[in-house]
Amino acid sequence: MISLVYEIKEETGKDGRKVYRIDREHLLELMGDLKKEGYDHLSLISSVDFRDRIEVVYHLEKSSDNFSIIVVKTETRDTHVPSVTSLWESANWDEREQYDMMGIIFDGHPDLRRILLPEGWIGYPLRKDYDMSKVQYVNMDEEGNDYVSFDPGDGW
Amino acid sequence: MKTGDAGFITTTLEKAMEWSRSNSIWPLTFGLACCAIEMMAVQASRLDISRFGSEVFRNSPRQSDLMIVSGTVTKKMAPRLRRLYDEMPYPKYVIAMGVCVIQGGPYNQGYSVVLGVDRVVPVDVYVPGCPPTPEALTNGIILLQKKIRNEADR
Amino acid sequence: MESDLTHKYIELNMGPQHPSTHGVLRLKLTLDGETVKKVEPVIGYLHRNAEKICELDFYCDALIYFDRMDYVGAMNMEVGYLEAAEKLLNIEPPERVKWIRVIMAELNRIASHLVWAGAFGLDLGMLTPFFYVFEEREKVLNLFTEICGSRQETNYMSIGGVYQDFNDKIIYRIKEFLDEFPKKLEEIYNLFVKNDVFISRTKNIGILEPEVALSYGVTGPMLRASGVPYDVRKDEPYLVYDKVNFTVPISRKKDVLARFIVRFEEMRQSVKIVKQALEKLPDGPYFNPKARKSLMIRLRGEGDVFARTESTKGEFGVYIVGDGSVKPYRVHVRSPAFKNLSVLPYLSRDVLIADMVAISGSIDLVFGEVDR
Repeated sequence: MISLVYEIKEETGKDGRKVYRIDREHLLELMGDLKKEGYDHLSLISSVDFRDRIEVVYHLEKSSDNFSIIVVKTETRDTHVPSVTSLWESANWDEREQYDMMGIIFDGHPDLRRILLPEGWIGYPLRKDYDMSKVQYVNMDEEGNDYVSFDPGDGW
Repeated sequence: MKTGDAGFITTTLEKAMEWSRSNSIWPLTFGLACCAIEMMAVQASRLDISRFGSEVFRNSPRQSDLMIVSGTVTKKMAPRLRRLYDEMPYPKYVIAMGVCVIQGGPYNQGYSVVLGVDRVVPVDVYVPGCPPTPEALTNGIILLQKKIRNEADR
Repeated sequence: MESDLTHKYIELNMGPQHPSTHGVLRLKLTLDGETVKKVEPVIGYLHRNAEKICELDFYCDALIYFDRMDYVGAMNMEVGYLEAAEKLLNIEPPERVKWIRVIMAELNRIASHLVWAGAFGLDLGMLTPFFYVFEEREKVLNLFTEICGSRQETNYMSIGGVYQDFNDKIIYRIKEFLDEFPKKLEEIYNLFVKNDVFISRTKNIGILEPEVALSYGVTGPMLRASGVPYDVRKDEPYLVYDKVNFTVPISRKKDVLARFIVRFEEMRQSVKIVKQALEKLPDGPYFNPKARKSLMIRLRGEGDVFARTESTKGEFGVYIVGDGSVKPYRVHVRSPAFKNLSVLPYLSRDVLIADMVAISGSIDLVFGEVDR
């Protein structure tokens, strides 16, 4: 079914779902093939920080087959992963969220900005080495743009 | 207040103003999170806040007297909340509704939540609960009325 | 240069404090007169770091943050989390618990859709239905108060069970509610659909084609109103949804009105499900002894699990990774409202501002879930 120009490791997850493991260089090819095969619904992009590497997990659903799920996992050590926004529109906000929370840089994303936290926030909160004891404050300038600092400004 | 025999009332102007002010507190429509749904329930049919003169929820801060901060205030929202408070005309009052607004609530060990709205704006009445029942919010408004009339238990 | 002046666009900021943004949504609008040229939603004003805090607490404690995600449909959030956590921790809830969870989730679906209908009416300038729907919602919440002791954020379920068992009185009360509710529901429904202003403001507005919806990851009533019959309760049944008889309402009209009608039909189906579940409710324990209170904090899980459930907004997925300790290593939530909101810039190109309000109202946004 899938042309084997790249190597995928197939396994079964704890929840009984089929998992494909692939290196990130061939991620886009695999995703393109899966899209052609009918996986037209990208359910979720999540990521896990294992301290030495970050694992990016994609959950794809096939609308013609009762929305059955397939899981694709890839990993990165220097936080760079190719973007899949060209295949699914929903990847846009998902990748922005993962950039915001985990600091993964999706190469080829059209508009990679923070989405939940204000622009200029220091650090990526869901990383395991994020220091929560350093309190950050947000203030607003005249134009309505936020700026972040470690000491409270006038508004606080 | 004293009722005269001739059917008229004597009072000080100050008292009359306090009385009228306390019975028509117009809140700002300012729903932030979970507590906002309970704030809507206070407006709606069963609990009907209009019995206490506060049914007119204004959408503009320039027309309102009371800001019910209903729900978690995040750091991104705090400067906006401060600006809305600054835009309200005097005299203005703030009710902190819910434990998130009082001290961060269940989220107080996190990174993006303001640990108490009283770090941003001064608060008159605290209503604890997660979320507070509509009855509790009604009680908070009655307490605020007492405070305006200088009758509150200290 | 002159043509620039005649075609000058206005930039307008809507929110985060705005009566018709359902919370703290901020929209950056680019306007040509009354016509919206571009919308850019700015979210994150209610980002409460729930996913981070889940990592700091025990498996059983994470439940309260899930309650507060979709705060109008808290029971559905609890079901969603427990589906994932119980798979990860290898704890199977008893049969009676599964039925009780179905009853509570469906009752909460009714309450959630009612709140949505009231708020949607307010968006379109109708105040009357707001009072009717909240009256009915109070009845559901009274049931919840009696069963769980809390109105909105119930924290009723726990790993491997529920907090308190149903007794005959509660079953009688629920039946009493179910007998009266359909009549009231029709009354509310007629308040909307017999109003010409409502129909003309929702019909043929915000057409969402199914291919676009799938590409944007839209799920729930919005996707079903576009004609795709995707409901996790049917496609991957969890709890005991495969043992009850119900239909998944879909519409092929794809517009705002279709989303409204689909949600009301879902409420009717929920009534049907609860009635069947009350009939079939088996006897037995209401918690798994392996997860009783003293043992709950010692549960350990390893591996990763993704579980999806049908919440009131759409496909609610929870992805949990465990590393063998008593705390989850990573919790990630697939929030349906977040995905549904991402289609708003597509839907509101070249529509009037008033229509854009109708479209954003029809998405059913709850910001606790969008921002988490």
